[in-house]
Amino acid sequence: MSEFDAIVVGAGPAGASAAIRLASSKKNVLLVEKSDPPGSKNVSGGVLWGNGLSAIIPDWEKSAPVERFVDTKSVAFLTQDSKIGIDFSSKKLEQKKTGYTVLRARLDQWLARKAKEAGAMVINGITVEKLHIENGKVTGIEQDGDVITSDTVILCEGANPRVAINSGLRKPLTDHDVAIGVKEVIKLPENTINERFHLKSGAGFACEYVLGYLKGGVEAGGFLYTNKDSISVGIVVSMSHLRKNDATHTYDMIEEFTAHPYIAPLLQGGEMQEYSAHMVQEGGFSSIPKLYGNGYMIAGDSAGFSFSNGLVLQGMNYAIDSGIAAADTFAAAYDKKNFTENALKSYQDRLEGSYVMKDMRSFKGIGDVTWSPFVHKKIPAMLESLMMGLFMEEGRPKKHMTRMLLDALSQNDMLRVSSLMDAYRMMRRM
Amino acid sequence: MTLEIIVMVKQVPDKQEVVIDPVTMNLNRSLTRNVTNSADENALEAALRIKDKTGANVTVVSMGPPQAETTMIECLARGADRAILASDRFFGGADTYPTGLTIAATISKIGKFDIIFAGEESSDSSTGHVGPGVAEFLDIDQITYASNVEYEDGHVIADRELEGGTEIVKVPLPVLVTVLLNSNTPRMQTLRRKIDATRKGIEMWDHDKIGLQPEWVGVRGSPTIVRKMNPIREKERAAKKIEVRNIKELVDELYEKNILKLEEE
Repeated sequence: MSEFDAIVVGAGPAGASAAIRLASSKKNVLLVEKSDPPGSKNVSGGVLWGNGLSAIIPDWEKSAPVERFVDTKSVAFLTQDSKIGIDFSSKKLEQKKTGYTVLRARLDQWLARKAKEAGAMVINGITVEKLHIENGKVTGIEQDGDVITSDTVILCEGANPRVAINSGLRKPLTDHDVAIGVKEVIKLPENTINERFHLKSGAGFACEYVLGYLKGGVEAGGFLYTNKDSISVGIVVSMSHLRKNDATHTYDMIEEFTAHPYIAPLLQGGEMQEYSAHMVQEGGFSSIPKLYGNGYMIAGDSAGFSFSNGLVLQGMNYAIDSGIAAADTFAAAYDKKNFTENALKSYQDRLEGSYVMKDMRSFKGIGDVTWSPFVHKKIPAMLESLMMGLFMEEGRPKKHMTRMLLDALSQNDMLRVSSLMDAYRMMRRM
Repeated sequence: MTLEIIVMVKQVPDKQEVVIDPVTMNLNRSLTRNVTNSADENALEAALRIKDKTGANVTVVSMGPPQAETTMIECLARGADRAILASDRFFGGADTYPTGLTIAATISKIGKFDIIFAGEESSDSSTGHVGPGVAEFLDIDQITYASNVEYEDGHVIADRELEGGTEIVKVPLPVLVTVLLNSNTPRMQTLRRKIDATRKGIEMWDHDKIGLQPEWVGVRGSPTIVRKMNPIREKERAAKKIEVRNIKELVDELYEKNILKLEEE
């Protein structure tokens, strides 16, 4: 007889969602988290897209510590001197409230509290060392020489899945699987943020940037999200690119980003409250491990469920939904008292049936595009030339717009076959 | 007879995260993470070492709001047997006098005690009053600023670090001992112990249960009145390079810049 029905390792959105779902159906569940309080080691921060939490916490937006709902979503290319962006502000975003900016230190703590209220035992400040495996079946976890038993373990460790790796359930991470995210939280008065970003009270701005101008030519993405009275700003750089450019440092890169002529004014006068860095899952579809086996399931970032197509960065939504799917799979297995690989196979089916795996499949290989020099160098430069052509008034007769586009393309070496191939590949994968 | 040990603990804001509210001049506790006062962890460890040798019963006692439960659970997870949190809205705003009274009354209510441990002082107010105060309220002997605390045959033997030497004292039970910060290495909490501690849970006692009148405790029972708080303004410090050829020039330069002053001034 196991001490717990299920043990969930990691109290991020995936683990907390799984624990809330399990505890709500009266399962005896232990949620173990290494940070104390939960969220204090987290860096993401972040837009929580989608409404997955409503499945486990009705009206969650009313009580969750969300910062602002996103009513302006932007994407922008930055070159040394310019910003070329698309802003989407919409009443529709306000009505649907499809994304909220969040600070994970607050959100994760709140989720853990909800898990506790639902009846889960929540233990913080303990790092699980490895899984306890007997005759090829996971039967619990090990910590400091003790074994805590359960029928199933759900691993929701986040971007650095040490237990899964140590227990041989996942390959060690390679440079291809991870990026490094570096984030600053800049404190600014709520009104200043509203004025600077033209936001109504409670509304927020979220933008992802392609940084086409960094020293050493490193390909990196930037992000900027408005919180209630602070701004989360940072960069994401792929590990392999960082490895290739030994002389570049992430702290220089975030400085280059925040000092950009069209970023610096947004942050001006703010006081830096936090500075943090963390791994970001980037591997995409090819890095997804086997998601279940005898007595275990893997959910959230640990499972490689994160997504970036250059226009939007997502992970928390997949975490929540995969956590819930794992909990539901456990509940079905519990009814039959069978926790073998075969019994937990329906976890895969649940994910395949949901947008989680569908997204992972449709955007397979997107990483090759989002991190390519084509996106980071050529497109920003081409857009800049095009815009200059369109808007520079030099008292000369204007060219036809198509001509201008062709000129901008050829100036930036984009009419070659290889570039056209890049463009084709990009369109296909996005 | 089992030795009965009481350990007084306090939950304090993490000193690395303390923020002073610029308007009220009080600690803004809502923003900070709460932790167990470090010296209290040393006090608990001293108690647990005696428990390891003698099989003593260790009870942790604290006064604080309900969220201090996390500290109490932590103490259970390190090896304490019982945790009692004196928690009541009437206890709020207490200075060290009613705090000592409340803890002493809680300990009396528990009944038998042989050794009471406390940390030398708390990191958030640093008075060092409450431990000695409890000893006075209970009218027992006390050893302050102790390390290497041992139990031997009805006595506590401990080192007291003094300027220029160490005093070794031996005091018969019952005795209250305040333990020096960092005088030992507190044991780790393990998952196993944390689970057991969470299952065991803590006891919450209010003024009624302890047997205290509301006017004796909390802000009403506090003789201290804070008239004013002055923030310490950070001085502008500027590093400057001074070119000098000899010591005399250096002294003159520093004197001119008002960095060095003559005695009579």
